[in-house]
Amino acid sequence: MTDNEGSLPTGFRSGWDADLSLQELVLESSDIRAFMTELAVLVSSRLSVPGNTIHSGVTVIRQKKPEAVAASDAAASALDELQNGFGEGPCLTALREERTLLVPDLAAETRWQDYVRTALHQGVSSILAVPLDLGGDGEAVLNLYSGRTNGFSVEDIATVETFAGHAANSLRLVLRIARLRETRNDLSAAMQSRTVIDMAVGAVMAQNRCTRDTAFGILTRASNTRNIKLRQVAAAVIASISGEQTIPAHFDE
Amino acid sequence: MMNADWMGGPDQLNEADAHRRIAAKRFQASKVTLVELWTYYYGIGGDVDELALDAYLNEALHLPAAQVGLVTLAMNEFIGGDGA
Repeated sequence: MTDNEGSLPTGFRSGWDADLSLQELVLESSDIRAFMTELAVLVSSRLSVPGNTIHSGVTVIRQKKPEAVAASDAAASALDELQNGFGEGPCLTALREERTLLVPDLAAETRWQDYVRTALHQGVSSILAVPLDLGGDGEAVLNLYSGRTNGFSVEDIATVETFAGHAANSLRLVLRIARLRETRNDLSAAMQSRTVIDMAVGAVMAQNRCTRDTAFGILTRASNTRNIKLRQVAAAVIASISGEQTIPAHFDE
Repeated sequence: MMNADWMGGPDQLNEADAHRRIAAKRFQASKVTLVELWTYYYGIGGDVDELALDAYLNEALHLPAAQVGLVTLAMNEFIGGDGA
């Protein structure tokens, strides 16, 4: 039992409660960044006690580069960015090795020397990094900073790990929903575009008494020689015939 | 499948192979995903499904010339860079 435990709000140790509030985060966050920010704030506020403020940030791997996407406060955000700038540090190592990494006393740490020196200067004394297991959907790590040596108890670590597990499950769902929404939007834009192009192809076929492939060839050549997108060429063809400037798709939602 | 009858003679097949290889490399070098490229290609009037496009971009299937033209156009417009 540590001093920290008594100060934690009741319910924090209960996985069910943590899970419930994470489900709410999923429902309430309009995008992933907002979700992660709320996650960082939640972890930070649940773990902080008087005299030991915990700063929390989330780093994700995007196109093979680490990016600080969310934080409980400006200090955590700056520390995450600092580490990503150096390209090495406990959080990035935790992410790569897919396991929790605790630096109980930063002053005694011999790895990541450049980063450690700068972080010490910023007032950080201990760091806890817990990767979020997102399966194949992405890579993310929860970074916690304390201004105190041994700022994280064994119970704290277990708590954060449990929390990270629940968060990862929710985050997977968020990522999947976001990806599906993106695909849906792309498809709906494609249908709009295709409607315009199909109409123009039909018009060219009627005018030239040619096949669909030939009509496509004519439009594509016009697009290439004038360096205009095919869709704009098609829209111009339709406008020249009908005077219509906007063509509604038939699959509007 | 490698040598469909609409492909013409050996010379045209070599040309189609070379064209396909360039398309495959260009796709791999881009950050665009298959579904994104396919959706764009579909949006400009493309006819083949995502699986066929995947096979084409892995140099495992030839597409009709008109579809090859649309795949190239989709890449020019969507991936960007200098057009072919």
